[in-house]
Amino acid sequence: MRLRICCPAILSFSSKTQIFALGLPRTLAMDDARALVTSLRSAYTATPTKLKLIDLYVAYAVITAIVQTLFMAVVGSFPFNAFLSGVLSCVGTAVLAVCLRMQVNKANKEFKDLPPERAFADFVLCNLVLHLVIMNFLG
Amino acid sequence: MAGAEAIVAAVVASLILSCAAFTEENPTDRRVLVLLEDLAIESTHSLFFKSLSDRGYELDLKLSTDPKLALQRYGEYLYDALVIFSPSVEKLGGSLTSEAVLDFVDSGHDLILAANSTTSQFIRNLAAECGVEFEEDFDSVVIDHLSFDDARDAKDHSLLATKSLIKSKVILGAKEIQAPILYRGIGHVVSPANSLAIKVLTASSSAYSANPNAVLASPPALTGTSIGLVSVVQARNNARILISGSLDMFSDNFINSPVRITGSTERFDKSGNQEFVDELSKWVFHERGHLKAVNLQHHKVGESGEPSMYRITDHLEFSLEIYEWTGKNWQPYQADDVQVEFYMMSPYVLKTLNHNGKGKYETSFQVPDVYGVFQFKVDYKRLGYTTLDLSKQIPVRPSRHNEYERFIKAAYPYYGGAFSMMAGFFVFGIAFLYHK
Repeated sequence: MRLRICCPAILSFSSKTQIFALGLPRTLAMDDARALVTSLRSAYTATPTKLKLIDLYVAYAVITAIVQTLFMAVVGSFPFNAFLSGVLSCVGTAVLAVCLRMQVNKANKEFKDLPPERAFADFVLCNLVLHLVIMNFLG
Repeated sequence: MAGAEAIVAAVVASLILSCAAFTEENPTDRRVLVLLEDLAIESTHSLFFKSLSDRGYELDLKLSTDPKLALQRYGEYLYDALVIFSPSVEKLGGSLTSEAVLDFVDSGHDLILAANSTTSQFIRNLAAECGVEFEEDFDSVVIDHLSFDDARDAKDHSLLATKSLIKSKVILGAKEIQAPILYRGIGHVVSPANSLAIKVLTASSSAYSANPNAVLASPPALTGTSIGLVSVVQARNNARILISGSLDMFSDNFINSPVRITGSTERFDKSGNQEFVDELSKWVFHERGHLKAVNLQHHKVGESGEPSMYRITDHLEFSLEIYEWTGKNWQPYQADDVQVEFYMMSPYVLKTLNHNGKGKYETSFQVPDVYGVFQFKVDYKRLGYTTLDLSKQIPVRPSRHNEYERFIKAAYPYYGGAFSMMAGFFVFGIAFLYHK
């Protein structure tokens, strides 16, 4: 199921403003943004749990990468190999998880004939190779 | 027969002479050649010569024009020091030319040179080669109308009684000289750029150098405390030279006479000349102020042997022993300002050495984080002391591949990130597999 993303976000900013009882200026753009978020949320709750698990894993990886990058921004890139190794382990495993999600998603017609076990086995093998390389490069 | 006897006598004499010579272990001079312009000086300066011979010097008093004078024979020096008490000599006898005298000093031997108002060009040139330039005008003497000894002065105020001595316990002895020093002679200048020549006795600020018999037509060139009366020079090879513009300062007459400076009520029974010339001669002949530095050692903290190479950021200990010659034996030298440099083109580390009272100086420091070939340098130049100039080379290497720290503190977040991703992958794998 493809999410239908309307274009309300690209609406021009109307000069029509109405002061609400809350005292918040209410524009047409805000209304549409709110509608977008609501429709996204309701669409997302409909996805299967397995895919939400993968999404959680990807979010965890991306947050870890961002934290490490912020640390490097503060302290400097002294053991650069360690920095790269840490960030790339996060990014690499996130990419592999996204590939797993695409292959396991039943709504994806491209990978209709691919058994999900095969997809998971690929995921595990690639992650093993990735982490081996990361451990070597970590120093 | 007579020839063979003479040869045997010469060999025996040279053996005896070499035993009594100045050596590195016993640096006081022994054999002194004294050149007099007139043999009467031997008796008019007898107290000075007696004090020298009482201290163990072998004085060889000769006339300066003696044709048999020789400082060296077959390449070996016959004397350890030279005293020239002949101001008016135009040419020294025998093989002594001014080059021979200067070579004698250049080879590390000491010299005492005295001048007076009859000083010849020869002596003036000799002094100029040593860094001391006498007043150019041959008729000038140092005159002081405010600081002369009025009891015995010949009315031209050229007999100075002065007390402006340099403050140095090494050169002038531990005891301060109380009585003024009588002086009659010429003045000299020492170039301020010359760091080796030091004015020991200067004239007072009211002195000037002029001809006492002529009317002063223009202001004198040499005035005040820039006139040196007695100077010493310590050459870079530690030879010591004493140059005095007054031969009379050494004489019995001046040593024994009482002193009273005009206008002052103080009267001294004996002038300070005896103490002055005795202490100065002790310094010039290396009885005082002669240092030796031995036993330069360095090692890593915790080890005892001397390594052939250090690594950057090693901790090391450096030690040195310095002794001072007292005239009879070596005593530990005590000073708080000896420094060692760890030097490669510029000093990376400069530390003051601490001594333990027995002559052992030590310190410890950390090798800088720079690799290369360094030197431990001790460069000690102090007024009146012989120079200590030591250096020992030592290479410093960078860390080997297994000498770095294993885990870098700054990288702990990255280690944590990588391991947490591995743990996360493991947990996710289990969750994904066993989820219904």
